[in-house]
Amino acid sequence: MVMVGLPARGKSFIAGKVKRYLRWTSVKAEVFNVGTYRRTDNPHPDAKFFDVNNPEGEKARKAAAEAAVNDMLDWFKDKTNKVAILDATNSTKSRRQWLHDRIIEANLLHIFVESKCDDEDLIMSNILEVKTSSPDYIGQDPEEAARDFRDRIRNYEKVYQTIDESEKHLTYVKIINIGERVVINLIQDYLQSRLVYYLTNLHIKPRSIWLSRHGESEYNLEGKIGGDANLSERGERYAKLLPELVKRSGLPKDAPLTIWTSTLRRTSQTARHLQQELGWEKLQWKALDELDSGVCDGMTYKEISDKFPEDFQARDNDKYNYRYRGGESYRDVVIRLEPIIMELERSENIIIITHQAIVRCIFSYFMEIPQEKSPWMEVPLHTLMKLTPKAYGTEVERFKADIPAVSTWRPKGSTAKHHDSVSEGMPDTVVGDMKNLKRTGTPATNADGGVSGGNETGHESVFDDEVLGLPLP
Amino acid sequence: MDTLLTAESAVNSPRYRRKSSTFVDAIHDLPEKSELAPAQLYSTESGRLFHSGRIAIATVGLPARGKTHISVALARYLRWLGVKTRIFHLGDYRRAIVGPGTDVPDDYFFVNASASSVLLRQKILKKCREDIYHFLNHENGQIAIYDAVNPLSAGRRSLAKEFAKHDIKTLFIESSCDDQRIIEENVRSVKISSPDYVGWSEADAVKHYLNRIAAKIPHFETMEEQDLDWIKMINAGQRLVVNNTSFGYLSHRIVFYLLNLHIKSRHTYFTRAGTTLEEESFKADASLSPQGRDYAKKMTATLLKHREEERKAILEKGGTETPLKPLIVWTSTRRRTVETSTFLEAKGFKVRQRSQMSQLNPGVCEKKSERRIRQEYPEEVLKHDLDPYHHRFPRAESYHDVAVRLEPVILELEREQNDLLIIAHESVLRVLYGYLMACNAADIPFLSFPRDEIIEIIPASYNNEAKRIKIPDLPPEIIPASPEGIKAPAPPSGFATPIPGLGSGLASPLGPGRGPGTPEPSASGYKTPEDSENLSVRMHDVV
Repeated sequence: MVMVGLPARGKSFIAGKVKRYLRWTSVKAEVFNVGTYRRTDNPHPDAKFFDVNNPEGEKARKAAAEAAVNDMLDWFKDKTNKVAILDATNSTKSRRQWLHDRIIEANLLHIFVESKCDDEDLIMSNILEVKTSSPDYIGQDPEEAARDFRDRIRNYEKVYQTIDESEKHLTYVKIINIGERVVINLIQDYLQSRLVYYLTNLHIKPRSIWLSRHGESEYNLEGKIGGDANLSERGERYAKLLPELVKRSGLPKDAPLTIWTSTLRRTSQTARHLQQELGWEKLQWKALDELDSGVCDGMTYKEISDKFPEDFQARDNDKYNYRYRGGESYRDVVIRLEPIIMELERSENIIIITHQAIVRCIFSYFMEIPQEKSPWMEVPLHTLMKLTPKAYGTEVERFKADIPAVSTWRPKGSTAKHHDSVSEGMPDTVVGDMKNLKRTGTPATNADGGVSGGNETGHESVFDDEVLGLPLP
Repeated sequence: MDTLLTAESAVNSPRYRRKSSTFVDAIHDLPEKSELAPAQLYSTESGRLFHSGRIAIATVGLPARGKTHISVALARYLRWLGVKTRIFHLGDYRRAIVGPGTDVPDDYFFVNASASSVLLRQKILKKCREDIYHFLNHENGQIAIYDAVNPLSAGRRSLAKEFAKHDIKTLFIESSCDDQRIIEENVRSVKISSPDYVGWSEADAVKHYLNRIAAKIPHFETMEEQDLDWIKMINAGQRLVVNNTSFGYLSHRIVFYLLNLHIKSRHTYFTRAGTTLEEESFKADASLSPQGRDYAKKMTATLLKHREEERKAILEKGGTETPLKPLIVWTSTRRRTVETSTFLEAKGFKVRQRSQMSQLNPGVCEKKSERRIRQEYPEEVLKHDLDPYHHRFPRAESYHDVAVRLEPVILELEREQNDLLIIAHESVLRVLYGYLMACNAADIPFLSFPRDEIIEIIPASYNNEAKRIKIPDLPPEIIPASPEGIKAPAPPSGFATPIPGLGSGLASPLGPGRGPGTPEPSASGYKTPEDSENLSVRMHDVV
């Protein structure tokens, strides 16, 4: 997948998202950023470096592209690797033809992805974002950086050629003004069509996604899983506090939020005050319902390990692929969450009130948590997470309500009813007291080169053909 | 005959329902409220999924651009996903209101049509739209596909406005073609098979047909409206242009599907793998037995002979020089299916293995007799009998699981341009057949594919047609269909597979003593006399 477009058109953003999405669906993917190669020799170039009339700069940039392409083709020697994303401007026809030839020569399929944008506001907001976070401008005056960056773009504009009729032999998707119009040419296979499907759902407007589990439920208190129980008294208090908690997390100006819940009682009850006090629209999604634990629904972990010891063990051995009798596995959940992910990508500010396993899967998508880790992630009750997508990753902030709740987190091998670490030493009387709100910020994680989300558990997967990934719900 | 949704029934009794059966394409049937679709992940009370609201998909394009084909294919896919979808062919209404054998007035499509033509047009449109509103407002319908020419920009704008008043979004799908060869192939394959053109040379018939369209519909404006939602498919899917003002989940999903669709028609054959040395074992992945190899040989010979006959038949009708598309073979990665393809491979046919086409994993039921399963898993057996499509035995897959994992194969199936032979386990054939023939999920586990028949699915723009080709001289013991789930092995004839419940209350088109799960083995398949009539009427309708 070869990116095409002027700077500040969201190319790196798209490349990073595609990589994460593919890995989430068990397809091995990697980004090759030409800028990174160029930076090894020219860590802080100014706009003149990017001038077409500067032969030295031109030469250095071509060498960087060569190096990136060579590494990319090498990477494909491992046959399990499926999608490489070449992140660069590739702004001329001759450059694209050269890439096309190299890729065809290596017997690979290609797709050019052009992001074309003439909406000045969008470009400026992108520049502002990039100027603060691009490695090119580390330690520089932001105003100076922005000016330099605009000059750099002008240099590219001089030679930029959009993909047009003369390149109809290429497989390409041209995305104009963030998907207002899309031209898709010569799609050759299923995976390409899926990439296009995903790309057409993306936008780069600033927004956040809030994620929370429901408030503590009666089943949580008893250590039972599944069911459709009501909130406990403490869970009810969390529901009441939630509007305040969300406001405290920082709301976007003048932008409406939409609340998504599952169809189970405990999430609707948790969202009730949010909906009433703030007047936001609420949608219920069946796809956000908790992982179906089949015959084990309504049991405690102790009961499960007594009644189905083999199953219990099997689940610990491969939690991602383990499917409860008559129920679901995490892999199944990821498949049914696909429409949710697409809707999330399309939407702007959304607050999701859902369940432990579902939070794990959605969080893993945004933060690129590998499959062997994601089902074991600790997601405490009464904690709101705010995810804000940035050009180079997703920023997470956690807001903990000071309302005690049981912990439903179960480490590998344990059958304990619950690990009550949260309620210890916590006052029971701080409802609504915002002074006691704890804010724990975790700045952008999931940096490039992070852990692979590939299916490496040795499980016999049905998706290991050349057509990989989710069969799409 | 109740298996054809005729124009009369559609128009005079718009809420007319007919029961689906498993051996004709049910794409124009109306699904029952309680039904779950093959790949549906969950259901909602309203029957509408993905919070995508109600959508009217309006086709745009001159005749012979594949609009009906796109409408039907899209409906097939959306229904498979569980989205309540129904197609409204404006032509059906036009035909029914004008009356059989009568053509619309010459100025019917003209911008400056006479008052009487305008009135007629309005009458036809009104009837069709009333049915669309009824489907979306009162039958929990989610997507109505409005299959019409919609040639003018002004008309499209007012259509979208009118739907918007009813809180229905409009998505236009234009099929546009600047490649004359594609248009001509389309005319050849779907438009000139009518009796009107008996005795004509193909080239003359194509020319005559295209001239008639040009005279009838002189004004056509391609879509450029910035303020409407539309998808333009150019040259049978070579290029797609999308204008998105307010796309929801389903609209994006439709683009995804259309990226895999093309308009060319080709045949799909289904056949089973030969018998193996360890017939009962799933895990063993055994090789073919001598009998299985013999089957593979005979199957190959029968298929090639059949194709040769088809080729000759087309040539006799004065068809093109290369009437048959090349044949590609898909197998699963299981040894028995791969080995069944060896004779074809030796003859130079390309064989591709696809791991998603592995048979339904039987889990704990492997190698166990029905009696033993009943003894060991009595509760599971009860659940299985209640819902054989969705139930899975411990460590096993359900048919639903198989359907969901087969989605990439289904899209590749749409993408394939050549004729295709699929050699797979019966569980996989059932699901793929269920997609192509729009079967109800509940019927899929009971579809029967005896080993002595090759199934041929012939796409037509209005609906698919299935034929069964007999493989002669097979030993009777290898013929039976494999049992569904825990059911005892089917009786050896392969014709009397009992299918409880199915076809009850259905005026079966088959003679007595024939199970509805077993299709007519006649050489002509299900092509009934009504079919050809239908085609000739359809001819009037588009022009």
